[in-house]
Amino acid sequence: MSAPTTTATAPPGAARPVRRRRGPFAKSLNRRYVITAYLFLLPAFAFFGLMFYLPIANMVSSSFRTGAQADVYAGMDNYTRAFEDAAVRNSFTVTVIFGVATTIGAIVIGLTLALLLNQKLRGRVVFRAALLVPYLTSVAIVGLLWRNILDPQLGILNRLLSDLGLPTQTWLNTHPLATVIGVTLWMTVGYTMVLFLAGLQGIPEEYYEAATVDGAGPWQRFWRITLPLLAPTTLFVSVMAVINGLQAFGQAYIITGGGPAGRTDLYIFHVFNVAFTSRDFGYASALSFLLFLVIVIFTVVQLRVGRRGEVQY
Amino acid sequence: MRSAPNPLARTASYTFLILVCAVTVVPLLYMGALSLQTEAETLAANPVLWPESPQWGNYAELFERAPFGNFIVNSLIVAGGITLAHLVFDPLVGYVFAKFRFPLRNTLFIALLATMMIPLFVRMIPLYVMMSNLGWLDTHQALIVPFLMDAFGIFLMRQFIQPIPDDLIHAARIDGASELRIYARVILPQVKPALAVLGLFTFVHQWNEFLWPLVATSSEEMRTIPVGLALFKQEYFTLWHLTAAGSVILFVPTVLIFLFSQRYFVRGITLSGLK
Repeated sequence: MSAPTTTATAPPGAARPVRRRRGPFAKSLNRRYVITAYLFLLPAFAFFGLMFYLPIANMVSSSFRTGAQADVYAGMDNYTRAFEDAAVRNSFTVTVIFGVATTIGAIVIGLTLALLLNQKLRGRVVFRAALLVPYLTSVAIVGLLWRNILDPQLGILNRLLSDLGLPTQTWLNTHPLATVIGVTLWMTVGYTMVLFLAGLQGIPEEYYEAATVDGAGPWQRFWRITLPLLAPTTLFVSVMAVINGLQAFGQAYIITGGGPAGRTDLYIFHVFNVAFTSRDFGYASALSFLLFLVIVIFTVVQLRVGRRGEVQY
Repeated sequence: MRSAPNPLARTASYTFLILVCAVTVVPLLYMGALSLQTEAETLAANPVLWPESPQWGNYAELFERAPFGNFIVNSLIVAGGITLAHLVFDPLVGYVFAKFRFPLRNTLFIALLATMMIPLFVRMIPLYVMMSNLGWLDTHQALIVPFLMDAFGIFLMRQFIQPIPDDLIHAARIDGASELRIYARVILPQVKPALAVLGLFTFVHQWNEFLWPLVATSSEEMRTIPVGLALFKQEYFTLWHLTAAGSVILFVPTVLIFLFSQRYFVRGITLSGLK
Protein backbone atom coordinates (compact mmCIF):
# COMPACT_ATOMS: atom_id res chain seq x y z
CA MET A 1 0.00 0.00 0.00
CA SER A 2 1.48 3.32 -0.95
CA ALA A 3 0.97 6.44 1.10
CA PRO A 4 0.92 9.20 -1.46
CA THR A 5 -0.50 11.83 0.83
CA THR A 6 2.16 11.65 3.49
CA THR A 7 5.88 11.98 3.69
CA ALA A 8 6.19 10.53 7.18
CA THR A 9 6.78 6.84 6.95
CA ALA A 10 9.64 6.69 9.43
CA PRO A 11 9.20 4.14 12.22
CA PRO A 12 7.67 5.60 15.37
CA GLY A 13 10.25 7.13 17.65
CA ALA A 14 12.94 7.34 14.99
CA ALA A 15 14.87 10.55 15.32
CA ARG A 16 14.34 12.89 12.45
CA PRO A 17 14.56 16.60 11.92
CA VAL A 18 11.57 18.56 13.11
CA ARG A 19 9.69 19.87 10.14
CA ARG A 20 6.55 21.96 10.09
CA ARG A 21 3.84 20.29 8.17
CA ARG A 22 0.18 20.98 7.70
CA GLY A 23 -2.50 19.28 9.73
CA PRO A 24 -2.89 18.44 13.39
CA PHE A 25 -1.66 14.91 12.80
CA ALA A 26 1.40 15.75 10.80
CA LYS A 27 3.93 15.04 13.53
CA SER A 28 3.76 11.44 12.50
CA LEU A 29 1.39 9.31 10.54
CA ASN A 30 0.23 8.22 13.94
CA ARG A 31 -1.31 4.79 13.73
CA ARG A 32 -4.01 5.77 16.19
CA TYR A 33 -5.28 8.56 13.95
CA VAL A 34 -5.20 6.36 10.90
CA ILE A 35 -7.29 3.80 12.72
CA THR A 36 -9.68 6.52 13.91
CA ALA A 37 -10.01 7.84 10.37
CA TYR A 38 -10.81 4.42 8.95
CA LEU A 39 -13.23 3.68 11.77
CA PHE A 40 -15.07 6.92 11.09
CA LEU A 41 -15.13 6.07 7.40
CA LEU A 42 -16.35 2.53 7.87
CA PRO A 43 -20.07 3.33 7.50
CA ALA A 44 -19.30 5.35 4.37
CA PHE A 45 -17.28 2.50 2.81
CA ALA A 46 -20.14 0.13 3.48
CA PHE A 47 -22.77 2.51 2.21
CA PHE A 48 -21.16 3.67 -1.02
CA GLY A 49 -19.89 0.19 -1.78
CA LEU A 50 -23.24 -1.51 -1.29
CA MET A 51 -25.54 1.23 -2.55
CA PHE A 52 -23.54 2.68 -5.47
CA TYR A 53 -20.69 0.50 -6.69
CA LEU A 54 -22.35 -2.88 -6.20
CA PRO A 55 -25.55 -1.80 -8.01
CA ILE A 56 -23.55 -0.46 -10.95
CA ALA A 57 -21.65 -3.73 -11.20
CA ASN A 58 -24.93 -5.63 -11.00
CA MET A 59 -26.50 -3.45 -13.65
CA VAL A 60 -23.64 -3.97 -16.09
CA SER A 61 -23.72 -7.69 -15.44
CA SER A 62 -27.48 -8.02 -15.93
CA SER A 63 -27.29 -5.94 -19.10
CA PHE A 64 -25.66 -9.03 -20.66
CA ARG A 65 -28.42 -11.30 -19.44
CA THR A 66 -32.01 -12.05 -20.27
CA GLY A 67 -35.01 -13.85 -18.77
CA ALA A 68 -37.46 -12.89 -16.03
CA GLN A 69 -34.72 -12.92 -13.39
CA ALA A 70 -32.06 -11.60 -15.79
CA ASP A 71 -30.16 -14.83 -15.19
CA VAL A 72 -29.56 -16.28 -18.67
CA TYR A 73 -26.37 -15.09 -20.33
CA ALA A 74 -27.18 -13.40 -23.62
CA GLY A 75 -23.96 -11.75 -24.72
CA MET A 76 -24.49 -8.49 -26.57
CA ASP A 77 -28.11 -9.32 -27.48
CA ASN A 78 -29.63 -6.57 -25.35
CA TYR A 79 -27.34 -3.98 -26.88
CA THR A 80 -27.86 -5.01 -30.49
CA ARG A 81 -31.59 -5.10 -29.80
CA ALA A 82 -31.43 -1.57 -28.36
CA PHE A 83 -29.85 -0.20 -31.52
CA GLU A 84 -32.48 -1.83 -33.73
CA ASP A 85 -35.45 -0.95 -31.52
CA ALA A 86 -37.47 1.83 -33.20
CA ALA A 87 -39.25 2.68 -29.94
CA VAL A 88 -35.93 3.18 -28.19
CA ARG A 89 -34.64 5.33 -31.01
CA ASN A 90 -37.78 7.45 -30.86
CA SER A 91 -37.55 7.74 -27.10
CA PHE A 92 -33.89 8.73 -27.31
CA THR A 93 -34.63 11.44 -29.90
CA VAL A 94 -37.51 12.79 -27.82
CA THR A 95 -35.28 12.89 -24.75
CA VAL A 96 -32.40 14.65 -26.49
CA ILE A 97 -34.80 17.30 -27.83
CA PHE A 98 -36.25 17.64 -24.36
CA GLY A 99 -32.81 17.88 -22.74
CA VAL A 100 -31.45 20.43 -25.21
CA ALA A 101 -34.61 22.58 -25.18
CA THR A 102 -34.89 22.64 -21.38
CA THR A 103 -31.18 23.52 -21.16
CA ILE A 104 -31.35 26.39 -23.63
CA GLY A 105 -34.60 27.61 -22.06
CA ALA A 106 -33.14 27.46 -18.56
CA ILE A 107 -30.10 29.49 -19.64
CA VAL A 108 -31.95 32.13 -21.67
CA ILE A 109 -34.87 32.65 -19.26
CA GLY A 110 -32.80 32.18 -16.11
CA LEU A 111 -30.17 34.66 -17.25
CA THR A 112 -32.75 37.22 -18.38
CA LEU A 113 -34.51 37.08 -15.02
CA ALA A 114 -31.19 37.26 -13.17
CA LEU A 115 -30.12 40.33 -15.15
CA LEU A 116 -33.42 42.05 -14.34
CA LEU A 117 -33.19 41.16 -10.67
CA ASN A 118 -29.58 42.32 -10.48
CA GLN A 119 -30.74 45.94 -10.75
CA LYS A 120 -31.56 48.19 -7.83
CA LEU A 121 -35.26 47.46 -7.72
CA ARG A 122 -37.72 47.52 -4.88
CA GLY A 123 -38.98 44.15 -3.73
CA ARG A 124 -36.13 42.10 -5.17
CA VAL A 125 -36.42 39.51 -2.41
CA VAL A 126 -40.15 39.13 -3.07
CA PHE A 127 -39.57 38.72 -6.81
CA ARG A 128 -36.83 36.20 -6.20
CA ALA A 129 -39.06 34.20 -3.85
CA ALA A 130 -41.99 34.29 -6.27
CA LEU A 131 -39.80 33.06 -9.13
CA LEU A 132 -38.31 30.30 -7.00
CA VAL A 133 -41.59 28.93 -5.63
CA PRO A 134 -42.29 26.40 -8.42
CA TYR A 135 -38.86 24.88 -7.78
CA LEU A 136 -40.12 23.80 -4.34
CA THR A 137 -42.88 21.66 -5.78
CA SER A 138 -42.71 17.96 -6.37
CA VAL A 139 -42.93 16.82 -9.97
CA ALA A 140 -46.15 15.13 -8.83
CA ILE A 141 -47.71 18.52 -8.09
CA VAL A 142 -46.36 20.10 -11.27
CA GLY A 143 -47.67 17.27 -13.38
CA LEU A 144 -51.13 17.10 -11.89
CA LEU A 145 -51.62 20.85 -11.71
CA TRP A 146 -50.64 21.46 -15.32
CA ARG A 147 -52.67 18.54 -16.55
CA ASN A 148 -55.65 20.30 -15.07
CA ILE A 149 -54.72 23.76 -16.34
CA LEU A 150 -54.02 22.47 -19.86
CA ASP A 151 -57.09 20.25 -20.08
CA PRO A 152 -58.91 21.17 -23.32
CA GLN A 153 -62.38 20.85 -21.73
CA LEU A 154 -62.11 21.98 -18.14
CA GLY A 155 -58.72 23.70 -18.07
CA ILE A 156 -58.37 27.32 -17.10
CA LEU A 157 -55.77 28.17 -19.73
CA ASN A 158 -58.03 27.78 -22.73
CA ARG A 159 -60.73 29.81 -21.01
CA LEU A 160 -58.19 32.56 -20.39
CA LEU A 161 -57.11 32.48 -24.03
CA SER A 162 -60.64 32.64 -25.38
CA ASP A 163 -61.48 35.50 -22.99
CA LEU A 164 -58.51 37.34 -24.46
CA GLY A 165 -59.72 36.51 -27.97
CA LEU A 166 -56.79 34.18 -28.68
CA PRO A 167 -57.16 30.75 -30.30
CA THR A 168 -57.46 27.85 -27.87
CA GLN A 169 -55.26 24.77 -28.12
CA THR A 170 -55.42 21.12 -27.23
CA TRP A 171 -51.94 21.53 -25.85
CA LEU A 172 -51.03 17.96 -25.05
CA ASN A 173 -52.35 16.62 -28.35
CA THR A 174 -51.02 19.12 -30.84
CA HIS A 175 -47.73 20.16 -29.21
CA PRO A 176 -47.11 17.55 -26.53
CA LEU A 177 -43.34 17.77 -26.30
CA ALA A 178 -43.18 21.56 -26.43
CA THR A 179 -45.85 21.74 -23.74
CA VAL A 180 -44.00 19.33 -21.47
CA ILE A 181 -40.80 21.33 -22.04
CA GLY A 182 -42.64 24.51 -21.09
CA VAL A 183 -44.03 22.96 -17.91
CA THR A 184 -40.54 21.74 -16.97
CA LEU A 185 -39.10 25.21 -17.48
CA TRP A 186 -41.88 26.65 -15.33
CA MET A 187 -40.61 24.42 -12.55
CA THR A 188 -36.86 24.94 -12.94
CA VAL A 189 -36.03 28.47 -14.14
CA GLY A 190 -36.12 29.89 -10.62
CA TYR A 191 -33.24 27.63 -9.67
CA THR A 192 -31.18 28.68 -12.69
CA MET A 193 -32.02 32.31 -12.01
CA VAL A 194 -30.58 32.08 -8.47
CA LEU A 195 -27.38 30.51 -9.81
CA PHE A 196 -26.98 33.25 -12.43
CA LEU A 197 -27.74 35.92 -9.84
CA ALA A 198 -24.89 34.63 -7.67
CA GLY A 199 -22.63 34.62 -10.74
CA LEU A 200 -23.58 38.20 -11.63
CA GLN A 201 -22.91 39.39 -8.11
CA GLY A 202 -19.40 38.02 -8.41
CA ILE A 203 -18.55 40.40 -11.30
CA PRO A 204 -16.80 43.52 -9.93
CA GLU A 205 -18.71 46.76 -10.53
CA GLU A 206 -15.46 48.51 -11.58
CA TYR A 207 -15.39 46.61 -14.86
CA TYR A 208 -18.71 48.13 -15.86
CA GLU A 209 -17.64 51.58 -14.71
CA ALA A 210 -14.42 51.36 -16.69
CA ALA A 211 -16.26 50.14 -19.77
CA THR A 212 -18.81 52.93 -19.48
CA VAL A 213 -16.02 55.50 -19.23
CA ASP A 214 -14.52 53.97 -22.37
CA GLY A 215 -17.85 54.54 -24.10
CA ALA A 216 -19.24 51.00 -24.20
CA GLY A 217 -23.02 50.83 -24.46
CA PRO A 218 -25.19 48.42 -22.45
CA TRP A 219 -25.28 45.86 -25.26
CA GLN A 220 -21.51 45.90 -25.60
CA ARG A 221 -21.06 45.67 -21.85
CA PHE A 222 -23.28 42.60 -21.79
CA TRP A 223 -21.43 40.80 -24.60
CA ARG A 224 -17.92 41.85 -23.57
CA ILE A 225 -18.11 41.75 -19.77
CA THR A 226 -21.15 39.98 -18.39
CA LEU A 227 -21.32 36.99 -20.68
CA PRO A 228 -17.60 36.07 -20.68
CA LEU A 229 -17.30 36.47 -16.91
CA LEU A 230 -20.42 34.40 -16.36
CA ALA A 231 -18.99 31.53 -18.40
CA PRO A 232 -18.29 29.27 -15.37
CA THR A 233 -21.86 29.71 -14.13
CA THR A 234 -23.30 29.12 -17.59
CA LEU A 235 -21.18 26.00 -17.92
CA PHE A 236 -22.37 24.66 -14.59
CA VAL A 237 -26.00 25.46 -15.37
CA SER A 238 -25.81 23.80 -18.77
CA VAL A 239 -24.13 20.65 -17.44
CA MET A 240 -26.72 20.32 -14.67
CA ALA A 241 -29.63 21.06 -17.01
CA VAL A 242 -28.52 18.48 -19.57
CA ILE A 243 -28.00 15.84 -16.88
CA ASN A 244 -31.39 16.55 -15.32
CA GLY A 245 -33.14 16.89 -18.67
CA LEU A 246 -31.90 13.54 -19.98
CA GLN A 247 -33.22 11.73 -16.92
CA ALA A 248 -36.61 13.44 -16.56
CA PHE A 249 -39.30 10.93 -15.69
CA GLY A 250 -42.25 12.33 -13.75
CA GLN A 251 -43.42 14.64 -16.53
CA ALA A 252 -44.05 11.71 -18.86
CA TYR A 253 -45.40 9.45 -16.12
CA ILE A 254 -47.90 11.97 -14.80
CA ILE A 255 -48.76 14.40 -17.57
CA THR A 256 -48.72 12.48 -20.84
CA GLY A 257 -48.12 8.80 -20.18
CA GLY A 258 -45.50 9.10 -22.94
CA GLY A 259 -48.09 9.86 -25.58
CA PRO A 260 -49.66 10.70 -27.87
CA ALA A 261 -48.02 8.00 -30.00
CA GLY A 262 -44.74 8.11 -28.10
CA ARG A 263 -44.15 11.78 -28.76
CA THR A 264 -43.24 12.42 -25.11
CA ASP A 265 -41.81 8.98 -24.35
CA LEU A 266 -38.93 10.25 -22.19
CA TYR A 267 -36.09 7.75 -21.98
CA ILE A 268 -36.29 6.94 -18.29
CA PHE A 269 -40.05 6.55 -18.60
CA HIS A 270 -39.39 4.07 -21.41
CA VAL A 271 -36.82 2.21 -19.30
CA PHE A 272 -39.24 2.22 -16.35
CA ASN A 273 -41.88 0.52 -18.50
CA VAL A 274 -39.45 -2.02 -19.91
CA ALA A 275 -38.32 -2.87 -16.37
CA PHE A 276 -41.52 -2.74 -14.37
CA THR A 277 -44.29 -3.29 -16.92
CA SER A 278 -42.61 -5.76 -19.30
CA ARG A 279 -40.40 -7.09 -16.46
CA ASP A 280 -37.41 -7.27 -18.79
CA PHE A 281 -34.65 -6.35 -16.34
CA GLY A 282 -31.82 -7.39 -18.63
CA TYR A 283 -32.92 -5.18 -21.50
CA ALA A 284 -33.81 -2.31 -19.16
CA SER A 285 -30.32 -2.53 -17.61
CA ALA A 286 -28.70 -2.30 -21.03
CA LEU A 287 -30.88 0.71 -21.89
CA SER A 288 -29.99 2.44 -18.60
CA PHE A 289 -26.32 1.79 -19.13
CA LEU A 290 -26.46 3.30 -22.63
CA LEU A 291 -28.05 6.50 -21.32
CA PHE A 292 -25.49 6.61 -18.53
CA LEU A 293 -22.70 6.47 -21.13
CA VAL A 294 -24.37 9.23 -23.14
CA ILE A 295 -24.61 11.43 -20.04
CA VAL A 296 -20.97 10.83 -19.11
CA ILE A 297 -19.81 11.63 -22.65
CA PHE A 298 -22.05 14.71 -22.84
CA THR A 299 -20.69 15.98 -19.52
CA VAL A 300 -17.05 15.42 -20.43
CA VAL A 301 -17.46 17.15 -23.79
CA GLN A 302 -19.34 20.06 -22.24
CA LEU A 303 -16.67 20.54 -19.59
CA ARG A 304 -13.87 20.32 -22.18
CA VAL A 305 -15.46 22.79 -24.57
CA GLY A 306 -16.69 25.02 -21.77
CA ARG A 307 -13.35 25.27 -19.97
CA ARG A 308 -11.66 26.24 -23.20
CA GLY A 309 -14.10 29.14 -23.54
CA GLU A 310 -13.37 30.57 -20.10
CA VAL A 311 -11.65 33.93 -19.84
CA GLN A 312 -9.87 35.87 -17.15
CA TYR A 313 -9.67 39.63 -16.99
CA MET B 1 -25.90 45.15 -8.26
CA ARG B 2 -26.52 47.55 -11.11
CA SER B 3 -28.77 50.55 -10.94
CA ALA B 4 -31.53 50.77 -13.49
CA PRO B 5 -30.46 53.44 -15.97
CA ASN B 6 -33.70 55.29 -16.67
CA PRO B 7 -37.34 55.36 -15.60
CA LEU B 8 -38.50 53.72 -18.82
CA ALA B 9 -36.18 50.75 -18.43
CA ARG B 10 -37.15 50.53 -14.79
CA THR B 11 -40.87 50.37 -15.61
CA ALA B 12 -40.21 47.79 -18.30
CA SER B 13 -38.22 45.68 -15.82
CA TYR B 14 -40.99 45.83 -13.24
CA THR B 15 -43.66 44.97 -15.77
CA PHE B 16 -41.77 42.00 -17.10
CA LEU B 17 -40.88 40.69 -13.64
CA ILE B 18 -44.44 41.04 -12.41
CA LEU B 19 -45.72 39.18 -15.47
CA VAL B 20 -43.27 36.31 -15.00
CA CYS B 21 -44.01 36.15 -11.28
CA ALA B 22 -47.70 35.92 -12.15
CA VAL B 23 -46.92 32.94 -14.36
CA THR B 24 -45.01 31.20 -11.55
CA VAL B 25 -47.36 32.02 -8.67
CA VAL B 26 -50.88 32.14 -10.12
CA PRO B 27 -51.03 28.43 -11.09
CA LEU B 28 -50.17 27.53 -7.50
CA LEU B 29 -52.84 29.87 -6.14
CA TYR B 30 -55.26 28.32 -8.62
CA MET B 31 -54.35 24.92 -7.15
CA GLY B 32 -55.44 26.28 -3.76
CA ALA B 33 -58.70 27.56 -5.23
CA LEU B 34 -59.31 24.25 -6.98
CA SER B 35 -58.91 22.40 -3.69
CA LEU B 36 -61.86 24.37 -2.28
CA GLN B 37 -64.26 23.92 -5.20
CA THR B 38 -67.11 21.47 -5.41
CA GLU B 39 -66.73 18.56 -7.80
CA ALA B 40 -69.28 20.21 -10.09
CA GLU B 41 -67.31 23.43 -10.15
CA THR B 42 -64.09 21.63 -11.11
CA LEU B 43 -65.88 19.93 -14.01
CA ALA B 44 -67.82 22.97 -15.23
CA ALA B 45 -67.49 23.62 -18.95
CA ASN B 46 -66.63 27.19 -18.06
CA PRO B 47 -63.88 26.78 -15.44
CA VAL B 48 -64.42 28.54 -12.15
CA LEU B 49 -61.65 30.64 -10.66
CA TRP B 50 -62.87 30.95 -7.12
CA PRO B 51 -65.44 28.60 -5.49
CA GLU B 52 -68.84 30.00 -4.60
CA SER B 53 -68.36 28.84 -1.04
CA PRO B 54 -65.01 27.28 -0.04
CA GLN B 55 -65.37 23.54 0.50
CA TRP B 56 -63.03 22.88 3.41
CA GLY B 57 -64.65 19.48 3.70
CA ASN B 58 -62.69 18.42 0.59
CA TYR B 59 -59.68 17.92 2.81
CA ALA B 60 -61.60 15.61 5.13
CA GLU B 61 -63.02 13.73 2.14
CA LEU B 62 -59.50 13.14 0.82
CA PHE B 63 -58.60 11.31 4.03
CA GLU B 64 -61.70 9.14 3.67
CA ARG B 65 -61.06 8.19 0.05
CA ALA B 66 -57.39 7.31 0.44
CA PRO B 67 -55.10 6.51 3.38
CA PHE B 68 -53.74 10.01 3.17
CA GLY B 69 -52.74 9.96 6.85
CA ASN B 70 -50.45 7.03 6.00
CA PHE B 71 -48.97 8.95 3.07
CA ILE B 72 -48.11 11.86 5.36
CA VAL B 73 -46.60 9.62 8.04
CA ASN B 74 -44.58 7.72 5.41
CA SER B 75 -43.28 10.93 3.88
CA LEU B 76 -42.31 12.25 7.32
CA ILE B 77 -40.53 9.01 8.27
CA VAL B 78 -38.69 8.73 4.96
CA ALA B 79 -37.72 12.38 4.42
CA GLY B 80 -37.06 12.88 8.14
CA GLY B 81 -35.02 9.67 8.47
CA ILE B 82 -32.88 10.45 5.44
CA THR B 83 -32.31 14.03 6.59
CA LEU B 84 -31.25 12.85 10.05
CA ALA B 85 -28.87 10.31 8.52
CA HIS B 86 -27.30 12.99 6.33
CA LEU B 87 -26.83 15.29 9.30
CA VAL B 88 -25.09 12.48 11.19
CA PHE B 89 -22.94 10.95 8.45
CA ASP B 90 -22.13 13.68 5.92
CA PRO B 91 -20.26 15.98 8.36
CA LEU B 92 -18.46 13.04 9.99
CA VAL B 93 -17.11 11.77 6.69
CA GLY B 94 -16.41 15.33 5.58
CA TYR B 95 -14.44 15.90 8.78
CA VAL B 96 -12.26 12.85 8.22
CA PHE B 97 -11.41 13.95 4.68
CA ALA B 98 -10.79 17.53 5.82
CA LYS B 99 -8.61 16.95 8.85
CA PHE B 100 -7.13 13.43 8.89
CA ARG B 101 -4.15 12.15 6.98
CA PHE B 102 -4.18 8.48 6.10
CA PRO B 103 -3.10 6.15 3.33
CA LEU B 104 -5.25 6.21 0.16
CA ARG B 105 -7.01 9.39 1.25
CA ASN B 106 -7.07 10.98 -2.20
CA THR B 107 -8.03 7.77 -3.95
CA LEU B 108 -10.92 7.22 -1.57
CA PHE B 109 -12.06 10.81 -1.88
CA ILE B 110 -12.15 10.56 -5.66
CA ALA B 111 -14.03 7.28 -5.45
CA LEU B 112 -16.52 9.07 -3.22
CA LEU B 113 -16.92 12.09 -5.50
CA ALA B 114 -17.37 9.80 -8.48
CA THR B 115 -20.69 8.63 -7.01
CA MET B 116 -22.07 12.13 -7.74
CA MET B 117 -21.93 11.14 -11.41
CA ILE B 118 -24.18 8.14 -10.80
CA PRO B 119 -27.81 9.16 -11.25
CA LEU B 120 -30.69 7.40 -9.56
CA PHE B 121 -31.91 5.75 -12.74
CA VAL B 122 -28.67 3.79 -13.00
CA ARG B 123 -29.20 2.37 -9.51
CA MET B 124 -32.96 1.95 -9.86
CA ILE B 125 -33.16 -1.58 -11.29
CA PRO B 126 -30.28 -3.18 -9.34
CA LEU B 127 -31.50 -1.57 -6.10
CA TYR B 128 -34.99 -2.89 -6.81
CA VAL B 129 -33.58 -6.41 -7.24
CA MET B 130 -31.46 -6.00 -4.10
CA MET B 131 -34.41 -4.79 -2.01
CA SER B 132 -36.50 -7.61 -3.39
CA ASN B 133 -33.84 -10.18 -2.38
CA LEU B 134 -33.64 -8.66 1.09
CA GLY B 135 -37.43 -8.80 1.36
CA TRP B 136 -37.44 -5.05 1.90
CA LEU B 137 -39.69 -3.98 -0.96
CA ASP B 138 -42.67 -2.01 0.28
CA THR B 139 -41.00 -1.12 3.59
CA HIS B 140 -39.59 2.09 5.00
CA GLN B 141 -36.05 0.63 4.93
CA ALA B 142 -36.23 0.30 1.16
CA LEU B 143 -37.07 3.99 0.89
CA ILE B 144 -34.45 5.19 3.38
CA VAL B 145 -31.36 2.97 3.23
CA PRO B 146 -30.26 3.70 -0.38
CA PHE B 147 -30.07 7.43 0.49
CA LEU B 148 -28.38 7.47 3.90
CA MET B 149 -25.41 9.51 2.70
CA ASP B 150 -24.66 11.76 -0.18
CA ALA B 151 -21.32 12.56 -1.78
CA PHE B 152 -22.25 16.16 -2.41
CA GLY B 153 -23.26 16.66 1.24
CA ILE B 154 -19.92 15.18 2.32
CA PHE B 155 -18.04 17.41 -0.12
CA LEU B 156 -19.92 20.46 1.15
CA MET B 157 -19.18 19.67 4.78
CA ARG B 158 -15.52 19.06 3.99
CA GLN B 159 -15.33 22.51 2.39
CA PHE B 160 -16.78 24.07 5.53
CA ILE B 161 -14.68 22.07 7.99
CA GLN B 162 -11.35 22.63 6.25
CA PRO B 163 -10.93 26.28 7.35
CA ILE B 164 -11.48 25.46 11.05
CA PRO B 165 -8.06 26.04 12.70
CA ASP B 166 -6.18 22.84 13.50
CA ASP B 167 -5.15 24.41 16.80
CA LEU B 168 -8.70 24.01 18.09
CA ILE B 169 -8.50 20.28 17.45
CA HIS B 170 -5.01 20.17 18.94
CA ALA B 171 -6.07 21.93 22.10
CA ALA B 172 -9.02 19.61 22.60
CA ARG B 173 -6.79 16.60 22.06
CA ILE B 174 -4.27 17.83 24.62
CA ASP B 175 -7.16 18.26 27.04
CA GLY B 176 -7.76 14.55 26.58
CA ALA B 177 -11.00 14.74 24.61
CA SER B 178 -11.90 11.60 22.67
CA GLU B 179 -12.00 11.80 18.86
CA LEU B 180 -15.77 11.47 18.76
CA ARG B 181 -16.08 14.19 21.39
CA ILE B 182 -13.83 16.51 19.41
CA TYR B 183 -16.05 15.96 16.39
CA ALA B 184 -19.26 16.58 18.33
CA ARG B 185 -18.10 19.45 20.57
CA VAL B 186 -15.45 21.24 18.53
CA ILE B 187 -16.22 20.66 14.87
CA LEU B 188 -20.01 20.46 14.63
CA PRO B 189 -20.75 23.75 16.47
CA GLN B 190 -18.52 25.57 13.98
CA VAL B 191 -20.53 24.48 10.95
CA LYS B 192 -24.09 24.97 12.18
CA PRO B 193 -25.17 27.19 9.24
CA ALA B 194 -23.86 24.63 6.76
CA LEU B 195 -25.74 21.90 8.63
CA ALA B 196 -28.91 23.97 8.37
CA VAL B 197 -28.48 24.29 4.60
CA LEU B 198 -27.75 20.58 4.27
CA GLY B 199 -30.75 19.60 6.39
CA LEU B 200 -33.21 21.89 4.61
CA PHE B 201 -32.15 20.82 1.17
CA THR B 202 -32.13 17.13 1.96
CA PHE B 203 -35.57 17.30 3.54
CA VAL B 204 -37.26 19.23 0.74
CA HIS B 205 -35.61 17.08 -1.92
CA GLN B 206 -36.63 13.82 -0.27
CA TRP B 207 -40.11 15.09 0.57
CA ASN B 208 -40.68 15.69 -3.14
CA GLU B 209 -38.92 12.55 -4.45
CA PHE B 210 -41.08 10.63 -6.88
CA LEU B 211 -39.31 7.91 -8.86
CA TRP B 212 -37.81 5.66 -6.16
CA PRO B 213 -40.87 5.55 -3.86
CA LEU B 214 -42.93 4.72 -6.94
CA VAL B 215 -40.62 1.83 -7.80
CA ALA B 216 -40.05 0.48 -4.29
CA THR B 217 -43.58 0.49 -2.88
CA SER B 218 -46.52 -1.57 -3.98
CA SER B 219 -49.20 -1.37 -1.28
CA GLU B 220 -51.31 1.73 -0.95
CA GLU B 221 -50.45 2.07 2.75
CA MET B 222 -46.72 2.42 2.04
CA ARG B 223 -46.91 5.23 -0.49
CA THR B 224 -45.40 8.62 0.18
CA ILE B 225 -47.46 11.74 -0.59
CA PRO B 226 -46.19 12.39 -4.16
CA VAL B 227 -46.69 8.77 -5.20
CA GLY B 228 -49.96 8.42 -3.32
CA LEU B 229 -51.23 11.54 -5.01
CA ALA B 230 -50.24 10.53 -8.54
CA LEU B 231 -51.82 7.10 -8.14
CA PHE B 232 -54.90 8.59 -6.48
CA LYS B 233 -55.33 10.67 -9.62
CA GLN B 234 -55.13 7.56 -11.79
CA GLU B 235 -57.82 5.91 -9.73
CA TYR B 236 -60.18 8.85 -9.25
CA PHE B 237 -59.33 10.77 -12.37
CA THR B 238 -62.30 13.10 -12.20
CA LEU B 239 -61.88 14.16 -8.58
CA TRP B 240 -59.78 17.22 -9.33
CA HIS B 241 -60.80 19.03 -6.16
CA LEU B 242 -59.37 16.21 -4.04
CA THR B 243 -56.21 15.90 -6.12
CA ALA B 244 -55.69 19.61 -5.64
CA ALA B 245 -56.28 19.31 -1.89
CA GLY B 246 -53.63 16.59 -1.74
CA SER B 247 -51.23 18.77 -3.74
CA VAL B 248 -51.74 21.59 -1.27
CA ILE B 249 -50.90 19.25 1.62
CA LEU B 250 -47.75 18.17 -0.17
CA PHE B 251 -46.76 21.72 -1.04
CA VAL B 252 -47.43 23.65 2.16
CA PRO B 253 -44.59 22.21 4.28
CA THR B 254 -41.95 22.98 1.65
CA VAL B 255 -43.24 26.49 1.11
CA LEU B 256 -43.27 27.15 4.87
CA ILE B 257 -39.71 25.85 5.20
CA PHE B 258 -38.72 28.08 2.32
CA LEU B 259 -40.39 31.22 3.64
CA PHE B 260 -38.81 30.84 7.07
CA SER B 261 -35.35 30.11 5.73
CA GLN B 262 -35.13 31.83 2.38
CA ARG B 263 -31.60 33.01 3.08
CA TYR B 264 -30.32 29.50 3.83
CA PHE B 265 -32.23 28.14 0.90
CA VAL B 266 -30.80 30.54 -1.64
CA ARG B 267 -27.36 29.95 -0.16
CA GLY B 268 -27.89 26.23 -0.62
CA ILE B 269 -28.65 26.66 -4.31
CA THR B 270 -25.60 28.87 -4.74
CA LEU B 271 -23.47 26.25 -2.99
CA SER B 272 -24.68 23.58 -5.36
CA GLY B 273 -22.69 25.61 -7.91
CA LEU B 274 -19.56 24.51 -6.07
CA LYS B 275 -19.76 21.15 -7.76
